[in-house]
Amino acid sequence: MRIPDHALRVDPARCTGCVECTRACPAKAIRVRDNVAQVLPERCIDCGECYRVCPQRAIVPVTTTHTDVSTFKYKVALPSPALYSQFGPSTLPEDVLQALLSLGFDLAYDKAYACELVFADVKSYIEENYAGEPFISPVCPAVTRLIQLMFPALTGQILPFRPPREVAAKAIKADVTGRLNIPEDEIGVIHITPCLAKLAAMINPPTAERSSLDGAVGISEVYGSMLVALKQAKSDRKARSMHHSSGAGIGFGRAGGEVADLGIEETLAVSGVMDTIKILKDLERGKLRHIKYLECQICPGGCIGGPLTVQNRFIASNTITEFVKLFGARPDIEDMMKAGGHEREHFRLSKAILPAAIPPLDADTSFAIGKMRLREDIFRKLPGKNCAACGAPDCMTLADDIVRGHAKIEDCVFIRADGRSE
Amino acid sequence: MIAETVFNQGFEVEGGDFVRGGEASCRILEILKELAFPPSIVRRAGIAAYEAEMNIVMYADDGGLELTVTPDRIVIVVADRGQGIPDIELAMRDGYSTATDEIREMGFGAGMGLPNIKKNSDEMKISSTLGEGTRVEIVIKANHGEVRCEDSRPCAES
Repeated sequence: MRIPDHALRVDPARCTGCVECTRACPAKAIRVRDNVAQVLPERCIDCGECYRVCPQRAIVPVTTTHTDVSTFKYKVALPSPALYSQFGPSTLPEDVLQALLSLGFDLAYDKAYACELVFADVKSYIEENYAGEPFISPVCPAVTRLIQLMFPALTGQILPFRPPREVAAKAIKADVTGRLNIPEDEIGVIHITPCLAKLAAMINPPTAERSSLDGAVGISEVYGSMLVALKQAKSDRKARSMHHSSGAGIGFGRAGGEVADLGIEETLAVSGVMDTIKILKDLERGKLRHIKYLECQICPGGCIGGPLTVQNRFIASNTITEFVKLFGARPDIEDMMKAGGHEREHFRLSKAILPAAIPPLDADTSFAIGKMRLREDIFRKLPGKNCAACGAPDCMTLADDIVRGHAKIEDCVFIRADGRSE
Repeated sequence: MIAETVFNQGFEVEGGDFVRGGEASCRILEILKELAFPPSIVRRAGIAAYEAEMNIVMYADDGGLELTVTPDRIVIVVADRGQGIPDIELAMRDGYSTATDEIREMGFGAGMGLPNIKKNSDEMKISSTLGEGTRVEIVIKANHGEVRCEDSRPCAES
């Protein structure tokens, strides 16, 4: 069964309860109970680290199935720019978009274009609104969730823009409805995704705004059929008009792409979950005073390092470098806005991103203080070996679980062994 | 429950240890979040604690932070053994710093430390003895209804 609000499930038939995922989880959101990993939905940030490390392949992405996609009358593929990086520099974005059509989509939309379009406006927004604290990128949904959960005071600093994939999906629906007279609910916009987080953000959006996307399929899931379709697409290269993005938009597939496009001096690009947590801790303590824009991506190297990508991310990055050179700088924003009939308000969030902090030990500080003291006492009784045999990632987390009523001290194998010997 | 409503923890900080410097304030932030203080209060305490911690790292031989939490106030006492501050009034001015070039190269020592602590706390007491050390007491009150924030940006919702 799918973990509520998230895009993964644990296959109990495969899970051996080995605690690899429990230890790897940066959010401490996994416990092993009765020899099966359990994901705590209120703590999971959708980073996919558990999926990467599971030796049994027991963490299963719950993406959109072929059957789900086929229920839509008009099917649109919205590929992450990371998809362009998966097949080497001789496979052009045009080829990739063409190949998506042969997989059965009615339209393949160049999402990289939406990235550069939205960010052209982001640049002027930052210049007008910067007031001493850095804006944080709204693009990576796992980062947004990490901030909501673990850095609630920083949620107000997330740039109030819709992520480009949402802007694109909304625009596509309006366009298809207008041109082909197909009702919006019969149009399925499917993201071709490098990660689980995009799908999770569709199921459980960070704001009260409903997602305009209808599903997501992993790059790794379409990779095989893409290879076959690409052969045909490349042998049959003719003038096509699906690829509009410049090098700037394609650069969004990897870390540093956003800040490169913004061209503002005081920016910083960070990728990887541990480094993202580290930089947010710095930000929280007032360390990044001179930064205007902070790009954070949960995957190392950005989307090309996503858990559902296939190509080695360093090779993928080389391909992006080639495309950035080949397709050059983006056009002027006013030209883009006019050409597409876009309005700036479509780029802006209509509802605020609110904190969703991990619950404190108790909502009442007096009781929380009592529980924290109790937790310290329990922690001192534990062996401090962080073996995770109890099913929690470390001794402090077990102590925390005990205080919150989710575990008992006898879950510790050392305590149990001592109990027997006495 | 009265006796239980105080949480107290001390953190040692070593002068010159730029690698581990900052860990105590990180821990203090985590503790305050777990104790259900509103994000804006936590953030102010975090900034003040960090600045105070880095002052030990930059200028003192060694020292420590002592966190005392009750439901309505957060008190952080920062005490170090070191050179002390000759002129506190001067040190409290924005931009005044005795930091070495090396420290400035690392992005510290801009002379904003003590003023920033003051800005983010509700009460701040500082005393120093030359050649012995410095003691800073930071108080942040938790129960004022209106969340105060002196940053130029409005605080996030609490």
